[in-house]
Amino acid sequence: MEKLRLGVLALIVINKAGGLIYNRTFGEGLNQLNTNDYLVLAGTFHGVHAITARLNPFKGQQYQQHTLSSTGETILSRPEPPSGLEVMESENFRLQCFNTLTGIKFLLFTDTMQANVDVAMRKVYDLYSDYVMKNPFYQLEMPVRCETFDRKLNSYIREINNSR
Amino acid sequence: MPIQVYSFYIFDRHTECVYSKLWHQPHQQQQQPPLPSSTHTTTAPTSTTTTITTTANTTNGPHHGRHHPVRSAKDQASDDAKLIFGTVFSLRNMVRKLGGEDDAFIAYRTQHYKLHYYETPTNLRFALLTEPAALSMRNVLHQIYINLWVEYVVKNPLAPVEHKGGEGVRNEMFEMGLDKFIRGLM
Repeated sequence: MEKLRLGVLALIVINKAGGLIYNRTFGEGLNQLNTNDYLVLAGTFHGVHAITARLNPFKGQQYQQHTLSSTGETILSRPEPPSGLEVMESENFRLQCFNTLTGIKFLLFTDTMQANVDVAMRKVYDLYSDYVMKNPFYQLEMPVRCETFDRKLNSYIREINNSR
Repeated sequence: MPIQVYSFYIFDRHTECVYSKLWHQPHQQQQQPPLPSSTHTTTAPTSTTTTITTTANTTNGPHHGRHHPVRSAKDQASDDAKLIFGTVFSLRNMVRKLGGEDDAFIAYRTQHYKLHYYETPTNLRFALLTEPAALSMRNVLHQIYINLWVEYVVKNPLAPVEHKGGEGVRNEMFEMGLDKFIRGLM
């Protein structure tokens, strides 16, 4: 039986040390893994992300970037920090990764045709900021157990998935 | 639409990198700002720095005032190949775990580059690094496999079955065909 793969399939949040702090699946698009597998997946992805940032073909140049100013002289500009994996595609799904400035990674698994994943990611980050970070009982770097976050996330994802 | 291709790697079923080629020169020593402690003076960049001169001493010449130990470009390339293999191997396993056994990892993108991946049923793996805006290059990798690998490596009666250390892959026909094919994309 062919599985129905539609819309946003799963969300995983990885803390800055590579630990899994949140995972939730929506719908039946992806294989169900057990908790241990999710933990391994989070750790693996954390490592892979670091390597992909290092593999930048222009890493030698990034220490110094010159831009031509309007007066015609070269000025030194601050180099862009190397970025790791942002989007990964496979035949059955797409993975979008958003790395916050504080090193938390949000992985959003969608089907291959899903549009505006950036917007969805932004919204998920907003929800995280509002309902996890502002929760006085939440301890940093620890697994997220916030009922409001779960609820808001669920209703938002359902909204996206139903609109298709 | 021309696209920029950075490098290309082939890994055999024993995870060894049997072929790699770079189409852009990493400029590691040229454009460094002179460090205060350094007595060397780097050559002043001419008018704009978009013109970057690559000299032969990039490979094994003296390194100017950098902290890292002397490393040849060859070592660097071999390190990159190992890192790329590790990355695609992990991602492929991750994809298979999540998407099912029939799923295949196609590509990933960062801000600076995009890596395209193709794997044959015999576990021969092809990886191609291009600019991030490139569209899917899966058919390109497939073409390389059919038209170049099968034709010039597999059908070569002198090539060994296993390509240890790239033996049998680095033949003139394959290299020329590949270079021509990739340059046709750029």
